[in-house]
Amino acid sequence: MFDIAPQVASLALQEGTSSGPAITSTGMAALAVGLAGLGAGYAERGIGSAAVGAVAEDEGLFVQALILTVLPETILIFALVAMILA
Amino acid sequence: MSATGSSNPEYVNARVSARRATLFDEEDYRKLLRMSPDEISRYMEESTYQGPINRLGSRFAGVDLIEYALNAGLAETFDELLAWADGRLYEQVARYLRKFDAWNVKTAVRGVYADTDAESIEDDVIRAGELDDDLLDRLVDAESIDAIVDLLEGTLFGEPLAAAYEVYEESGTLVALENAIDRAYYENLFEGVTTAGAGADSAYAEFLQAEIDFRNARNALRLARSGADIDPAEYFIEGGTLFTPEELSALSRNRDQLVERIRESRYGDELTGALDELTEADSLIGFEHALEGALLEHARNAAHAHPMSICPVIAFVLAKEREADNIRAIARGTQAGLDPEEIRAEMVVR
Repeated sequence: MFDIAPQVASLALQEGTSSGPAITSTGMAALAVGLAGLGAGYAERGIGSAAVGAVAEDEGLFVQALILTVLPETILIFALVAMILA
Repeated sequence: MSATGSSNPEYVNARVSARRATLFDEEDYRKLLRMSPDEISRYMEESTYQGPINRLGSRFAGVDLIEYALNAGLAETFDELLAWADGRLYEQVARYLRKFDAWNVKTAVRGVYADTDAESIEDDVIRAGELDDDLLDRLVDAESIDAIVDLLEGTLFGEPLAAAYEVYEESGTLVALENAIDRAYYENLFEGVTTAGAGADSAYAEFLQAEIDFRNARNALRLARSGADIDPAEYFIEGGTLFTPEELSALSRNRDQLVERIRESRYGDELTGALDELTEADSLIGFEHALEGALLEHARNAAHAHPMSICPVIAFVLAKEREADNIRAIARGTQAGLDPEEIRAEMVVR
């Protein structure tokens, strides 16, 4: 991987010379959406397995379990807002 | 984040909490206290004991049915716990549930010692734990203690039992064998659990210490009361924090000092009421129930503090066992014609 270091360096230098940021605002917004997705996924992992356990014991809990499981997705709405604003 | 790296503890704890909610509560017990054994078994049929009651209903009736259904229900529930758990949690739960192995081996040994027939030994076996059904059947059918020791070769209890067997042959009392079983169980329990730090592991270790301390205290009090000339150090189980073997043998001769010692320990607050009662009314039963209650409380606190660990599972196991004991006390008490107040005193409800 060190082979590409000079190319990356020259790329960075080129960026530098053209005086723009290394990552554009659209790029940053994309990163925000990606990280938010990762965070939501991590949060859902625990909630999801607990929800499956609860539903296995009592099927009546299915709706509540589903709602709780997707709650962390709300953070993605913020990420999308950031995407639109960017 | 969960301790195993997988999300299994979340799953297990959700199921365990749901099961906890289905345990009989104060209200249920109040109803049960007014019922005849047949009504109790019908009431159980509408609860989590539905499977065992239906399965055994055609073969037994009355108190026998309740007794068998309770044992089968315990075994069923604890097998399920093992089926849910995974990885490190599985290992810890399996280690803890080995207490039923210890119980079963003790039952078999006592049965042979007392010349009980295989059928009555079978009645008391709880088929939870690690020993498989086949081995349990052979243990129950074993003709001599020698045979039991041989059968258990290669298991956790193999070596300690073989060593204790020689002592047994010399002395002719079961103390050595039962001790060996208990010690093998508790030593195994502490493997991989440290008291260091403030995490879930240390809370679990603290709970185990409490369990051992209580057991030692109970043994010492029983010995002190019976006035038998046995050194409680022989019964001593390692791993607790409250006593050393020497202290225990000294304290068991003087009950007031023993009570004082417990009062000053970290369990003092939980047990104050029971200790007062013990000094005043001289009732060991009340004190033993208070110990059980304190242990339940301890487990539940640990479960609240560390939900993503083994603690809630252990708290559930204890609560489930208490439930079975309570129902058994009600059924037996009603059959013997005790009045509800007396039976109520035999129960531990928290």
